[in-house]
Amino acid sequence: MMLPLWAVIRRDLVRLLRQRGRLAAALARPMIWFFVIGSGVGVLVEPAAPEAYQAYLVPGMVGMTLLFGATLVALSVAYDKEFGVMRMLVTAPLPQYWIVVAKTSSAVVSATLQASLVLLVLGVLGFIDGSFSPLLLLAGLLGTALACAGLGMLVAVWTGTLENFALVMNFVIFPTFFLSGALYPVANLPPVLRLVATINPFTYGVDLLKHALLRGDALIAASDFSPLIDLGVLVGFAAIATLVASLRFSHEARAGLSGFLRSGR
Amino acid sequence: MTSTFYPKPDPPPQSDSVAVRSRRLCKHYGDIVALEDLSLEVPFGAFVGLLGPNGSGKTTSMHCLTTLVEPTDGSAWVAGHAIRSAGVAIRRDIGVVFQNPALDPSLTVQETLAFAAAIRGLPRRISHERAEAMLAMFQLEGKRDLRVGTLSGGMRRALDIARSVIHRPRILFLDEPTLGLDVPNRRRIWDHIARLRREEGATVLFTTHYLEEAEGCDTVHFLAGGRIVGSGSPRELIARMGAQMLEIEADDIEATAHALRLELGPGFRQGDRALFRLTSSRGEVASMLRSLPPDLRSVRRRRPTLDDVFVWMTHPELRGELL
Repeated sequence: MMLPLWAVIRRDLVRLLRQRGRLAAALARPMIWFFVIGSGVGVLVEPAAPEAYQAYLVPGMVGMTLLFGATLVALSVAYDKEFGVMRMLVTAPLPQYWIVVAKTSSAVVSATLQASLVLLVLGVLGFIDGSFSPLLLLAGLLGTALACAGLGMLVAVWTGTLENFALVMNFVIFPTFFLSGALYPVANLPPVLRLVATINPFTYGVDLLKHALLRGDALIAASDFSPLIDLGVLVGFAAIATLVASLRFSHEARAGLSGFLRSGR
Repeated sequence: MTSTFYPKPDPPPQSDSVAVRSRRLCKHYGDIVALEDLSLEVPFGAFVGLLGPNGSGKTTSMHCLTTLVEPTDGSAWVAGHAIRSAGVAIRRDIGVVFQNPALDPSLTVQETLAFAAAIRGLPRRISHERAEAMLAMFQLEGKRDLRVGTLSGGMRRALDIARSVIHRPRILFLDEPTLGLDVPNRRRIWDHIARLRREEGATVLFTTHYLEEAEGCDTVHFLAGGRIVGSGSPRELIARMGAQMLEIEADDIEATAHALRLELGPGFRQGDRALFRLTSSRGEVASMLRSLPPDLRSVRRRRPTLDDVFVWMTHPELRGELL
């Protein structure tokens, strides 16, 4: 079971490294936010010390990398269906749910790798407090990646075509990012948006990353929940999302409703 | 390694020499009946074709027998395992080639074979050995480092079959393996399949609508409207058609066909062409041909083909003629 799982993960990594643009975008996206929005809004928030807002943004940028990295791998299920890898996977001697679990794991690995790169760059540039907590950081990376992978799989099994990609980007990924604590503390949001942010599992991922990366007053001002609640929500959501996605995928496949068996390139 | 993901398959009963057995297998998609009744037996080692026009239930049959789609009713066993309950065990024993390739265009040829082997749990050493053997058998050695996306249709098909047999399956299911290929490539693919049967002893169940491709197999089953309307060895079926076929083209084919029907029995008309079975003696046929109206454009006597058998088996007016 490990061999097939590693094969699926390795293939996604090979694809990630082969599509140089994708890896470059994964690194550039948070950097642009960090330096452009970070400086611009930083001056607006606190003209005397604009770097305070940049420091606040660090966990959110790591979270953003995880969110995009994980959901893009999960959504590549659409590519797999269209171009035939899914046809190869369903004929392997593995249960259908295994495919969902493998793809989710693969999303976690890809996303964590990309986020580690972003952390490394931010660290080298001196934006990471040396007293960060490695254990909480690991929990934050994996927990957030799991939840985002689960979210991506849910979307992927329901709207599994490449045409829906832009739609998903605009109506799932961006709102998930904006309605979390990545750019501003949840507590400062108006009530309705605060409610939405509280339901958003990604909020808890960013919150856990804040616990890992921020220190002192900055942490007290930025975090909204305790690390245990964060981790519980992330793991719980990931488990439920993966379960639901697996059930849906198996059901569709066995009923013969998934079009990828008959059509594709 | 034993785990819940790899349940040990029950060994098929010793006496069971049947690779595929299905009983009244049927599949509905809502109100659409894709497969009405598939009942067949394929012995181990056999080379069997499921033939029929588009929409006759060939692909649905393949999907059900390969455990990818659950049938609405009926039952089937593949390599001794029931398709409803032992999907994983069955998929270990079979190889499947779909109408559309099951390949990743972004991987290289070699990576594709390694991936196909790994998702089946083949250890690296065996995977490597098998990949080399397949590259040689399918004449892909020179292409190993090329991306799948850059291969021609014929080579892509060859690779698709190679990846489907990387684990040396006992039974190979091929759904329209030559669809969309030109004639030389179609011939090459059938050569590969023949070699696989010869060298690896695989049982092959395939579908096609190029009927001439099925003339070399052991048994064909004709599918129409989701059920088997006739079966037999291609040679026997062709022999049963009669010694010769009469193919006539005429300006007023309606009248000519009508006149001939009285003499020759039911025929098949398509456009300005009519087709009859010649079962009467040579002398009679010759005199009858002389009495035909002079507006004939062409008259051709030829040996029957599997296409003729298919027409006679599936055409509503002709059905039963051969029985």
